[in-house]
Amino acid sequence: MSQVGLDIVVCVKQVPDPEGPSSSFTVDEENVRVVTSGIPPVVSPFDENALEAALRLKKAGGGRITLLSAGTKISNPVMLKALATGADNLVLVQDGSLDYSGTDSRSTAALLAAAIGRMDAYDLVLTGRQAADTNAGQVGVGIAGFLGIPAITFAGKIDIAGDKVVVERVLPDGYEVVEGPLPLLVTVSHEVGDLRYPHIAEIKRAKEIPVARWTAEELGVDVKGEKVTELVGISAPRISRRCELVEGDTQREAGENLARALRRDGVL
Amino acid sequence: MALREYERDIRGCSRCSICKWVPFAQIKSVDCATVCPSISRYNFHSYSGGGRLILGLSLLEDRVELTEEVADIIYKCVMCGACEVSCKIYRDDIDVLRVIEELRFACVENGMMLPEHMMMVDAMKQEDNVFGEPKSARGDWAKDLGLKDINKEKADVLFHAGCRLSYDEGLRGVVRGAASILSDAGVDLGIAGADEACCGGRAFEVGYRGELEKYAEDFASRVKASGCSKLVTPCSDCYGAFKQLYPMVGKELGVEVLHVVEYVEMLMGQGRIRPTVKVPLKVTYHDPCHLGRRGEPYREWEGEDKLKRPSAFKMSGTRGVYDAPREILSRLPAVELVEMERIREYAWCCGAGGGVMEAYPEFNSWSANERVDEALATGAQAIVTACPWCERSFTDALEERDEDLEVLDLMELLARSLGSEPDA
Repeated sequence: MSQVGLDIVVCVKQVPDPEGPSSSFTVDEENVRVVTSGIPPVVSPFDENALEAALRLKKAGGGRITLLSAGTKISNPVMLKALATGADNLVLVQDGSLDYSGTDSRSTAALLAAAIGRMDAYDLVLTGRQAADTNAGQVGVGIAGFLGIPAITFAGKIDIAGDKVVVERVLPDGYEVVEGPLPLLVTVSHEVGDLRYPHIAEIKRAKEIPVARWTAEELGVDVKGEKVTELVGISAPRISRRCELVEGDTQREAGENLARALRRDGVL
Repeated sequence: MALREYERDIRGCSRCSICKWVPFAQIKSVDCATVCPSISRYNFHSYSGGGRLILGLSLLEDRVELTEEVADIIYKCVMCGACEVSCKIYRDDIDVLRVIEELRFACVENGMMLPEHMMMVDAMKQEDNVFGEPKSARGDWAKDLGLKDINKEKADVLFHAGCRLSYDEGLRGVVRGAASILSDAGVDLGIAGADEACCGGRAFEVGYRGELEKYAEDFASRVKASGCSKLVTPCSDCYGAFKQLYPMVGKELGVEVLHVVEYVEMLMGQGRIRPTVKVPLKVTYHDPCHLGRRGEPYREWEGEDKLKRPSAFKMSGTRGVYDAPREILSRLPAVELVEMERIREYAWCCGAGGGVMEAYPEFNSWSANERVDEALATGAQAIVTACPWCERSFTDALEERDEDLEVLDLMELLARSLGSEPDA
């Protein structure tokens, strides 16, 4: 398949700004949820990386980018900003049943896969490697599973070569090059690069971009039925601090003692 | 805090509309009787302090949704705090401005931000300034002034320029002048240069409370590391953030915070700054909101009944910085001060605050022009202020008009009187 006219779907999740101060996040153990205050919703950073990868592919070979997001209440300004970077369409799956406690990675993947399946065409589906709120990293490969297409995870770079997708897959000690056929799902890592900033005029123009609004019911997905996990408890880790002065007669000895202490504590 | 925490304040509004007017005892003419730019411009009750309280009640009772139209009303407010001053004269138990802030926090938490504000906050995250200008260029204004770099050596006074004065080249003379005046007076002055960061105040005002908390945390650690005893700024916006907003989010800087006009007045009193050059000029002085009523030190009060709240804990606006700039003006040879009708805690706002300059430039310009008209009515040859945001607003407004009115920062005028007007 030629990369000209490639239809790219980018899944974007709205999350509370993960760059907010720690005081903005409160663990509500009783209701098993994290409550946020004083911070805005944003597109999950790895999803922003996925959008940036899509924009580069579009620039290199043309095509269309459709943003897909699901949730109970999706912020219009947040989506406008993402659209303004150069996307062509927005599909919102908004439904009261899609709240924090009503979904899990599997049901979300089922829902997004159903939405992608309903689209006129898709060649490449991009997601972030994990969401900034749950950090589960399951939805991307889950979508591929439901769609019955192959998936490549942890992409640091994506290129199109003829009818194949060539991905530099990030490893702890470097990267490996993996090829996959279209249609394909790729989960994207931050090594791809930060999402470009749109100009304010582009955000205003993005208001004209068509938006499709679907519900889980319209997509025929029983979100509760697809949910297989239950969050039974949540708590903040208790942090204790201990101060130890590492000494030595010489700087070299002090350094060696420090290394030993770090190894003893499992840091090295 | 959340909007719900202010339900008693909100329900307490008796809808008297005093928040729209200059305190009655201070009204001098019908032309200058109003004090709230928002209600004066948009002329519908929701755009007033009291109207916003009722809007808050409607949201609390789920009678309206937080739509783009509601957010538009919430954001068409310069956050000048004049409504609070007028209201406080009669009602000790209503904190109008705190409710307006909570409405903005609600907008942000519910994703109803304005795109212009999102861009500003993104710029802050990226480059540590509200304009998105390169962080590396932040200290360029101080080139060749020979000021200490507090990252390398200790200084008694940390001089914080702020975003506007660091990057607005049209105001370069203000910041260079202010720093030079202090330096020439023998003050042991240091700057952070490219490592200086935004105070975070403008993010707070558009509803990003968490951003301010981050900046305040960072700023407090930088100030502590610098070892300075005083923090001095020529920017009223930053001053208001340090004096009012930081304590509000539980951050104390642990050093004396002064606006440059306060410090200069102190140094004049010690005879370390002696203006001698005659500058024959009839001037009027514009009180910046964030140096005046919004620069009032914040003190947390933890009691239940606000009617029993001691006056030191109330934000009445009267404890802002009003006398120091006028004292400096009185010491400048041949300078004559003529006051406008709306001054001190009931001054009219230039229109730059509350994210209005970023999102509603037409409203900003309208408010600035109202003030320019008031200044012209005094017969002054110059409008003097002590905030770069006000100076920028008035300068831009006058560019569209054929009026003979100079816009000056007080430090620029002082530099003339010291015969040391610096090159911009």
